[in-house]
Amino acid sequence: MKNIAQLVGVPTVICLLAGLLLAWVHGVTEQPIREAKRKQKMAAIKKTLPAYDNQPDRTVYAVVAADGRTNALYYVASRNGAYVGAAREVTGRGYGGELRLMIGVNADGAVHGLEVLPGHKETPGLGAKIASDDFQGRFAGRSIRDTVWKVDKEDGAIQAITAATISSKAVTEAVAAGLAEYLEHEAAIRAAVGADAAAPQEERP
Amino acid sequence: VRMLKELLKGLWKENPVFRLVLGMCPTLAVTTSLENALGMGMAATFVLVCSNAVIAAVRRFIPAKVRIPCFIVIIATFVTVVDLMMNAFVPELHAALGLFIPLIVVNCIILGRAEAFASKHSVALSVADGVGMGLGFTLSLALLGTVREILGAGTITLWGDWGVKLSAGGDTIILFVLAPGGFIALGCLLGLMNHIQSVLARRRGGSFEPPAHLDCRHCVICKWGA
Repeated sequence: MKNIAQLVGVPTVICLLAGLLLAWVHGVTEQPIREAKRKQKMAAIKKTLPAYDNQPDRTVYAVVAADGRTNALYYVASRNGAYVGAAREVTGRGYGGELRLMIGVNADGAVHGLEVLPGHKETPGLGAKIASDDFQGRFAGRSIRDTVWKVDKEDGAIQAITAATISSKAVTEAVAAGLAEYLEHEAAIRAAVGADAAAPQEERP
Repeated sequence: VRMLKELLKGLWKENPVFRLVLGMCPTLAVTTSLENALGMGMAATFVLVCSNAVIAAVRRFIPAKVRIPCFIVIIATFVTVVDLMMNAFVPELHAALGLFIPLIVVNCIILGRAEAFASKHSVALSVADGVGMGLGFTLSLALLGTVREILGAGTITLWGDWGVKLSAGGDTIILFVLAPGGFIALGCLLGLMNHIQSVLARRRGGSFEPPAHLDCRHCVICKWGA
């Protein structure tokens, strides 16, 4: 009996102590993790939008589906109270798995910038080039309506990366889907300017 | 003297990657760049030192029958600590290494050192062993990462602001940042290490003898079932 008590007791005590340590570390790192995430998001928003003077992640326009779930979150940017553009995150299915992008459009109805967010799993040296300024720049300045949002192999306007067609296509298709949705909601997004009214910042899961 | 010996053996004589050939999964997966390799090496070193210290400290209380689950809980705890810390303070590196941080739990170097060393030695010696093995692992990954990044991507990048950024431009051998290139680079480096050892041994007037427990002639695994 003594033996069994020991076999059960020692691991129990170890697990308990491990749990306590983890609870403490979690408490210490929770805030920095949230700040790091926000900083990362803000950096991507800043790169994809024209100069603004509000806080786009506080001026959000949420597209809510019928079942109450948030489908998309637009970060609305303004300068001197006038709408200058909006950014949103889109996800695509790349060669190595899910990839997340931030796309920004300006008030003239053109794409201002595209940023592939860190954490994608595309092949280094091939598909990973989607995160290069060269590829991301192929989207900038193009009119949302007048551009065929497909890769050049499919008679689109975006020149795919050599030997990385799947990754290029994934990005282009994700951008196309995001832009199509933006056009649907454009009027409402423009109207969101000035609605800074401390909209609680929504966390996407 | 003993501590120094335990510390130094991990760097060369019992280098975990090149001599023990342990932990190959992270070795091949994250060494596509020097930065990732160093990040992985340091994370694993932290876990190794902490888990070695704790396991050595409680080794007398752990019943032999349940020691492996106990070791794993201790190791997993420190891995989670590293995971949270990296997520909070170096988010870019955390994103680049992704799944391989939690996978440090199953890195056989760490469980291997716990079982083979920390569970039988004092805390001080186990920490020395952890530091040595960790540094050996980090340096090996850094070497492999450097070779693969230069050949495969033509760059050497260290953490953004204070790092070096070389870029050769032109075409590179993309193979080296892909998985097969990892195997090729690792194989070449292993061969090079063995060559250096045999040259050193010859210069001393002997011939190269790998430690008995690492020697092919004393290993019977490949003769099983024959």
